[in-house]
Amino acid sequence: MASRPQSDAARAIIGAPTAMVDAPRKTSGAGAYTDDLAVPGMLHGKILHSHLPHARIRGVDAGAALALPGVRCVITGADAPTAYGVLPIGKDECALQPDKARYIGDNIACVVAESERIAAAALPLIRVEYEPLPAYFDPEAAMAAPAAGWLHDHRPRNIEKEYHHVFGDPDAALARAAAVCRNRYVCPAVTHAAMEPHATLARFEPDGGLTVWSSTQVPYYLHKTLARVLQMSMERIRVIKPMVGGGFGGKSEVCPLEIVAAVAARRAGAPVKITYSREEVFYTHRGRPLQLTELETGAAADGTILAVRARVIQDGGAYCGYGPVTLLYSGALLGAMYDIPNVRWDGYRVLTNKPACGAMRGHGTVNTRFAFEAQLDELAERLGLDPAELRRRNFLQPPCRTVNGLRVLSYGLPECLETVVAASGWRERRTGRAAGAPPAVNDGRGPRRADRASAPSRRHGLGVACSHYVSGAANAVDRADAIHSTVYVEAAAPLPAPAGGASGGGAASDAAPPAVAVLTGTAEIGQGSDTMQAQIVAAALGLPLAAVAVIAADSAITPMDLGSYSSRVTFMAGNAALRAAEDLKQQIAAALARRWNCDPEAIRCLGGQVLGPSGQALSFAAAVAAALPPGAAHLRGVGTYSPPREAQGGDFKGAGVGPSPAYSYSAQVAEVSVDEDSGQVTVHKIWAAHDCGRALNPVAVEGQVIGSVWMGLGQALSEEMAYTRSGQLANPGLLDYRVPTILDSPPVEAFIVESLDPEGPFGAKEAGEGSLAAVIPAIANAIYDAAGIRLYQPPFTPDRVLRALQARAAAPASGQAATAGQDQPETKPGPASGPPPPSPAGAPPQAGG
Amino acid sequence: MSLPSFQLHRPRELAEAVALWTEHGAAAKLLAGGTDLIPSLKQGLFAPDHLIDLGAIAGLTGISRAANGDWLIGAMTRIHEVAEDPILGREFPLLAAAAGQIASPVLRRMGTLGGNLCLDTRCLWYNQSYLWRQSCGFCLKKNGAVCHVAPGGRRCWAAFSADTAPALLVLDASVEIAGPAGARWLPLAELYSGAGDHPLRLGRGEILSRVRLPAAAAGMRGSYQKFRIRNSIDYPLAALALALRREANGAVTARLALTALNPAPVLVAGLERCLAAALAADPPDLAAVVQLVNRAAKPLSTSTVPADYRREMVLIQARRALEACLA
Amino acid sequence: MITAFTVNGQPRRLELDPATLLLEALREHLRLTGTKCGCDDSSCGACTVLVNGQPALACTLLAAGCDGADITTIEGIATDGRLTALQRAFGRMGGAQCGFCTPGMVMAAKALLDGNPDPSDGEIQAALSGNICRCTGYVQILASVRAALAEAAGAAADAARPKAAADAQRRAAGPTPPPQAAEPQSAHG
Repeated sequence: MASRPQSDAARAIIGAPTAMVDAPRKTSGAGAYTDDLAVPGMLHGKILHSHLPHARIRGVDAGAALALPGVRCVITGADAPTAYGVLPIGKDECALQPDKARYIGDNIACVVAESERIAAAALPLIRVEYEPLPAYFDPEAAMAAPAAGWLHDHRPRNIEKEYHHVFGDPDAALARAAAVCRNRYVCPAVTHAAMEPHATLARFEPDGGLTVWSSTQVPYYLHKTLARVLQMSMERIRVIKPMVGGGFGGKSEVCPLEIVAAVAARRAGAPVKITYSREEVFYTHRGRPLQLTELETGAAADGTILAVRARVIQDGGAYCGYGPVTLLYSGALLGAMYDIPNVRWDGYRVLTNKPACGAMRGHGTVNTRFAFEAQLDELAERLGLDPAELRRRNFLQPPCRTVNGLRVLSYGLPECLETVVAASGWRERRTGRAAGAPPAVNDGRGPRRADRASAPSRRHGLGVACSHYVSGAANAVDRADAIHSTVYVEAAAPLPAPAGGASGGGAASDAAPPAVAVLTGTAEIGQGSDTMQAQIVAAALGLPLAAVAVIAADSAITPMDLGSYSSRVTFMAGNAALRAAEDLKQQIAAALARRWNCDPEAIRCLGGQVLGPSGQALSFAAAVAAALPPGAAHLRGVGTYSPPREAQGGDFKGAGVGPSPAYSYSAQVAEVSVDEDSGQVTVHKIWAAHDCGRALNPVAVEGQVIGSVWMGLGQALSEEMAYTRSGQLANPGLLDYRVPTILDSPPVEAFIVESLDPEGPFGAKEAGEGSLAAVIPAIANAIYDAAGIRLYQPPFTPDRVLRALQARAAAPASGQAATAGQDQPETKPGPASGPPPPSPAGAPPQAGG
Repeated sequence: MSLPSFQLHRPRELAEAVALWTEHGAAAKLLAGGTDLIPSLKQGLFAPDHLIDLGAIAGLTGISRAANGDWLIGAMTRIHEVAEDPILGREFPLLAAAAGQIASPVLRRMGTLGGNLCLDTRCLWYNQSYLWRQSCGFCLKKNGAVCHVAPGGRRCWAAFSADTAPALLVLDASVEIAGPAGARWLPLAELYSGAGDHPLRLGRGEILSRVRLPAAAAGMRGSYQKFRIRNSIDYPLAALALALRREANGAVTARLALTALNPAPVLVAGLERCLAAALAADPPDLAAVVQLVNRAAKPLSTSTVPADYRREMVLIQARRALEACLA
Repeated sequence: MITAFTVNGQPRRLELDPATLLLEALREHLRLTGTKCGCDDSSCGACTVLVNGQPALACTLLAAGCDGADITTIEGIATDGRLTALQRAFGRMGGAQCGFCTPGMVMAAKALLDGNPDPSDGEIQAALSGNICRCTGYVQILASVRAALAEAAGAAADAARPKAAADAQRRAAGPTPPPQAAEPQSAHG
């Protein structure tokens, strides 16, 4: 049942551009992030990482390190041997590895010292005796490894997990398709690179309790994991999340330093802070895995998509993490944005000797979406259809269930697509044809057409693509019946008015102290969850925003929320906050209904007042006082959220991942030009329309949409975790892992589409992730429109683009009419330092003109 | 991230700096703007007992004219000042263009011209932490015996990656070297050894103190072509400077230099003759000039961007620079 | 060694190890933790402060090298507890999401505006091109700087107008909201 803002007061808050409630803390520099904290007697921890990619640990001798003045202790795997992991089926890592190192950067020991400098100086003094083991950096090679090369004994052939899903009869459907495209796509790993490096401060209290401050998206999972590894009851542990400088998924499972700091604090008998260096952040990773995607899509002559077949291999790195979830997302959402009746998906999650992957913005969906939306562009061309029209012909017809059991209620994709098609001038400006073909010697002219003038061509091209994402996972990772979020809204008994005080029961003003407190376990990480809940509660109770204080993410005082991941917070905690406010309102209404002798349903909260049906009015504070039970100090409204059973999906193996109470949608058009001399791609503009259900705060929604688009742009143009042949991450820093600067970032125009989800709070759905995936294929398709080259491997760096231009130039000018299946590239690509991208040569260029 | 401990010296006079540098030799490092050295200290590439900060020496900054009309730039003059100085920019737009594209605005305010000219060479296998370098058994340039870029060789191929060096080379600049035996001037090209693991040809106690730009080079047409992935922050991955003047008699004075490709900035030899021949043809045929650049460039896999692409890029840059300056 | 400098208008004298970075002196010795550390290779701009009015990376400067300098950090730009137009605009326009790049971004923008009260978009982008933000895609950061400029322009126009006219306009526009004060240190600290 949709809740709509009923009153003017609610309308003034819901949908109004609203500054983040915590903005002054950020802009003044006064807000505290974890590394900004210091407590008396605090020591500093530094972790020793493995320099070998795969090795048995025969022994650790910390004698020389311990002898260094200022070093307090050194801990190793033996100090915290309990394995953990975010999934019940994947508890395969220890905070410090007791017997095996599985990647360069794995965690071996931790020095605790009086200063960071001393701890750093002690690290090289620790002697570790290793027995090297064969290491695998390529997922397909790892799947063929002999037993000595298995990272985990319980995972033969390094296969963490495989799933095989078939819906309908894809083989038969492809056989009768008028056109089939078949390609291999390679997406190298990318990482979150949140600006705040992870930090944790742990302190044991005199009573034996443990307090942990940590930069985490998932305080509750951290709480549980600390209890498991330290073998303490959760009640003895307090987890506090200070301000967090970005997560994007990189802090959405427990990271080693969070456990190590606590173990070290216990061992040292003093508080210990660990702050990762930027290099350690890269080794901790948990980002988007390298994904190899073999994809086949077939359509009827009218553009109806008949079937899709995909084989996905994800290189998960050394530990499980969210791996099976990431893998399942790559399949679950593959066929769920359009009406596709026949789907086959085979997925493999593979272990390799590289940093472990995990959840990154658009979790699991991004690389598959790139492949699918890029392939749709090819399919449209084969069918002679406008790519936007092809998409239009395959929209879902909600309310409906997709072939894999996902329930879809609100669906703003058609409006998103029309919005960006209109705004970009798609029909008039797209060239709709590929470039021709030309000679290939580099005389400094580049692989341009021979007939072209000397000045480089910068023909602009447009590309379109769509994407979507969940508004939270309908199934919690560890238990089916979990309450996903609980929020309290508390109103305290008003204090007596100060002598001479002027406020006599009028509306609360901006300067008035907060009238209610929201207690929530949600993790504000910059996305605006505190502001969102303040808005919802203020709107529901007819209060100004400034009358609502948000107290969040302190396990000692706030109720449980699963955390900030899978774009769940607005939908789930937002609903819980709304229900908590309504519960409080009902308590007030019930009391005043007795006093006013009216129906409680007729009582409204508006403009800082509580109003009866016959002109009765009390200030909100007076109404709270009137509703307080005798002797009570405050009223508490309680709201919870659990996804409805109907949204929890089917019951096949792996069906738990993908279902969500609601899905966001995005359509984008990218405008690019390609310097055909050098292969350099310039993105001139991106139009992005996002269906967020309802924009509770348009500034925040636009910020999330633009931020998502931009992060996808980074993956499309410059970001890539490049590995050397010996398994080292070649670019473990912000100098060489190239996050776009402001000069590399095109204007992104965001359009908000409001489909008013029937179950979302005030109709809202997610806004923070769903726009990421579309930008990569939109750019790839625009490059094709501009230069006639298909790119199958992001990032579309100048070298890759130039190779594709050269391949186009070398191809015969005619006779390459594409037929289904012929363009399956044979080459096996690897990341950066490996062989070249699979396919420009394998993909036939469009016949000239 | 903290720096390892060292003793810090902040001399007020150049002579004092030379004396300290002479005294401590390999146990010391010179600190100019610090934009390369400080990150390198964090990575453990150097662990000097002594750091000699040149920042307190007043006489090392500033842009001035010599009596003969040559331009003199103090080694500690900030890159930003070199890029933004209006008169220098009018006389030597090429230098302003190269300096103005270094790193990012804040780094240009911190970095110095002398520091840029004396920049350590860079390599994927070198500019890494101790842990990282340990994981590949170190390399020729630091602690190791092998070159991962050219295995089997005994040469270090780390790439010299400063932007101002090629611009100053083609403007025929010379540098003043202060040392224990007094000051000497040498052509900029002679500052560079060509060896990636000890890129500068400086003796014990020697400090680059000034740069001289000859008045004769003022007003030359110039083009600075730079390739990097991002439009800010990044070091160049291939770059080229061209200075050119068509004399009244029709002759062409031209110099072309490369950076970010070889272990030293390279002034391409034989350019003028080759260019004259190219221009004698009608229409001019620049292919031979581009081939000259091709022979001079020696990019290897010192970066995650493929070396063969960097080579192709510099050829494109050569053509573009020539077309720009001949237009 | 003893280092003496002025930080946010206050003379400070610190006994420091010579290898102490300015960032460490600010964050650890003076507990001015608004200046952030985002990378270790001088490539993100999160630690941008003003040294003698010029933007500089505090992670790349020795504290001792700043002896005698006038240093301004994010904590030092508000006046009488009121955030500057630039800080307020970053809050209002979405220029600060996670907030971690914000101090450096604000200081880089302030350095630009101090020397150029009427920059073009291109000049703003150039001035901020050493500062990485991972949240915003920079669009709302550019809008924030523009909004601060518009506010300053509005204030200047107000100042230039006869007082009575300005008062009349203000009355017509309704009551002004109370000033937004910088919040105190997080309770978690």
